[in-house]
Amino acid sequence: MIKLLILNKLRCAYNDMNSVRGWELVKSAALGFAGLCLLIVMYFGFHKVLKYLEEVQLIGPILSWKLTGMLLLMMFAMIIVSSIIISMTTLYYSFDLKFLFSCPLSRRTVFMDKAADTVIFSSWTLVVAVLPFVIALQQVKGLSLGFTASYLFLMIPFVMLAAAAGIFFSLLVMYAFPSSRTRDITWVLGSLSVAFVYVMFRFAEPEKLLHPDSMQVIAQYIQYLQAPTAPYFPSWWVTKAMIAFSAGKWAVFAGYSGLLIACSAIVYCFMAWVCDFFYMRGFNGAQGSPRFKGGRGKFLEQKLISFFPGLAAQLSLYWKDRLMVLRDAKYWSQIILILALVSVYLFSIKQLPLDTPSVKNFICFLNITSAGFVVAAIGLRFTFPAISMEGKCWHLMRSLPVKIEAIMLEKLLVALPSAMLIGVVLIVLSNHILEADIFVSVLSTVSILFITIGVTAMGIGFGAIFPDFNVENIHKLESSYGGFFYMVASMAYLGLIVGIEAWPVHVHYLGGFAGPMTRWRLFGITSCTIGFLLVNFLAVWIPWKIGLKNLQMRE
Amino acid sequence: MINISNLTKTFGDFKAVDGLSLHIKPGEIFGFLGPNGAGKTTTVKILSGIMRPSSGSVSIAGFDVDKQPEDAKRNLAYIPDEPFVYPKLTAWEFLRFIGDIYRVPETEQKKRIPELFDMFDLTDVSDGLLEGYSHGMRQKLLIASVLLRKPKAILFDEPTVGLDPKSIRRFKNLLGEMAKGGAAVFMCTHILDMAEKLCSEVGIIFEGKLIARGTVQDVKAAAHSGSDSSLEDVFLKLTEKQSHD
Repeated sequence: MIKLLILNKLRCAYNDMNSVRGWELVKSAALGFAGLCLLIVMYFGFHKVLKYLEEVQLIGPILSWKLTGMLLLMMFAMIIVSSIIISMTTLYYSFDLKFLFSCPLSRRTVFMDKAADTVIFSSWTLVVAVLPFVIALQQVKGLSLGFTASYLFLMIPFVMLAAAAGIFFSLLVMYAFPSSRTRDITWVLGSLSVAFVYVMFRFAEPEKLLHPDSMQVIAQYIQYLQAPTAPYFPSWWVTKAMIAFSAGKWAVFAGYSGLLIACSAIVYCFMAWVCDFFYMRGFNGAQGSPRFKGGRGKFLEQKLISFFPGLAAQLSLYWKDRLMVLRDAKYWSQIILILALVSVYLFSIKQLPLDTPSVKNFICFLNITSAGFVVAAIGLRFTFPAISMEGKCWHLMRSLPVKIEAIMLEKLLVALPSAMLIGVVLIVLSNHILEADIFVSVLSTVSILFITIGVTAMGIGFGAIFPDFNVENIHKLESSYGGFFYMVASMAYLGLIVGIEAWPVHVHYLGGFAGPMTRWRLFGITSCTIGFLLVNFLAVWIPWKIGLKNLQMRE
Repeated sequence: MINISNLTKTFGDFKAVDGLSLHIKPGEIFGFLGPNGAGKTTTVKILSGIMRPSSGSVSIAGFDVDKQPEDAKRNLAYIPDEPFVYPKLTAWEFLRFIGDIYRVPETEQKKRIPELFDMFDLTDVSDGLLEGYSHGMRQKLLIASVLLRKPKAILFDEPTVGLDPKSIRRFKNLLGEMAKGGAAVFMCTHILDMAEKLCSEVGIIFEGKLIARGTVQDVKAAAHSGSDSSLEDVFLKLTEKQSHD
């Protein structure tokens, strides 16, 4: 039966790929090309590092294998975290679970089918991401293509073992706490772990690997750590098997490969044996939903209605949306990752090798674009989908006595405070770190305030121009052509803003506005101010009006 | 209360509703019958303001749905065949949301909501998120939301789909009570037995056109059916005759 289910998945995947036409095909090809370029860039980066390590006298070859062992250990840990998060969905909340349970299939078959999904979804990106490293290692060590093929072969039991750890963890946790809240808590903890690894990796300053002076320290450290990297973990077995393959020691290679395959087989047989006991209790518990005591008292927004009766609709929609966001663990996961992104952004600003105040001020000015881009990227995730996320309830919304402008305005008010907070924090702290002067500090802060309003309103506007109320996965909205146009428009808008502000900043660097106000200077300042306000107004007004019209006409 | 005047809705070359005119008075329960794809749901969507007419007009309590949509909707309740609700709200919060939007006074909301939960057997689950509700429970919650706001006109599109027999019985009683309270009820249904027993008037729509209208007896007479024949017989006779024509 499991064979039938897997064949069905393959058929669905084939049909899915085969049905890509027109714009979807162009978009997929563009994304595929961008991904390939990224892999090529990664390959050259890894090649440079590995070549350098290989050339370190005496310990060079050990260093590259040490790095391989560490990388595989990190990959092993990431697959475990990823499989915990993914298995919480695949095992307990997949859309087809109710159908599968209603079919004459054993629980074990359903469980193993979903376990297979978890293994694939949690590992394929990492296997592909490590591939440039392995190819670079093959090139640097002068090995045959068989080395890369051996990596792909070893990855099968390796990712199965790593994902098994995550799946088993989910089984145990859901067995002990059979509730949908367990899934939410696990998601948030999983996101915290990913954010922690990301921040720690950046704070470890990996760019120093390319500086020979700091490499001495790393070399000493690795020389000191002559012992294997986590010898009882499968990552070390894969490393040993790859070392054996490179040295042509086939017996050792077969031994470690056999160990990986045998362990993987034992673990999955064990899981298939115990899943009957663990799985159903967790699955039954997951079908319930948490309880809340809301509704009997008054929310803050409901209290405000008596003061602002004209905003009754917006305030009612606001508390509804606030509760929806606060109760959705997926949003919390995203917020954690955004906080990690902001801290890494600020750390990167701090690490910039800038010496003179003028260069620092110039970077502060350019920073308006980067911060604006971050706000737009976050807007693509949260603001642009806001209208579409009403989903099937859009019919309910349309039947309410509420104007569409009011709905759009409310969505803007939900998104704006957080967008503004992120934008201002990025700019103010960057200015502080870079010791920007008053002129640039004020200019960049005022600019980011306008930009957050502009970009957020554009997010709502474009979301209204390209709504999709049938979408089930929010990521499909981000990668839709509406999302693409939103990002292109945001980039154009940011470019115009920075272009308009370039002149006053230029004058400031040439001696400031301290001298007498000439007619030309007054004209320049007035033109820039009008241009700035006009661009902001049009950026808000055009998509907003088109989006509003589109929603009004939509049936 | 509900006034439909020469309503037409086209999708490209296809006429989903063709020159429909109806008037439903306060206290009247109007059964809107027709085979699949006849134009029932399109009519209801236009009445509720979700769709716009290609020509003609629709008004609720004297307000044109197209020109004064907010005023019209304030007097209207619409229960679609698929009861979509916000999954991350509880039943309590959902009814408070509807109550706030329709400006039902807070004291009345707090008094009526527990009564409505009792009436629809939702008290035990009223603090649970709606994502855990079955189709029938969500349908009951939407019907409860109608009773909370006491609208002047009510549109039901297949209202009993997913309801258990006890809830169907209760719904039928409520429908009568709502009409006695002065509401105009417009109900699309395939359950002809229910239409025959509950509706003061019925209309049969076929390929976008109203082919019969009146009391059940009037429709039977127009179809030259005997008084002992059922509405189902009449419905099949009329629609088959039209498809042959």
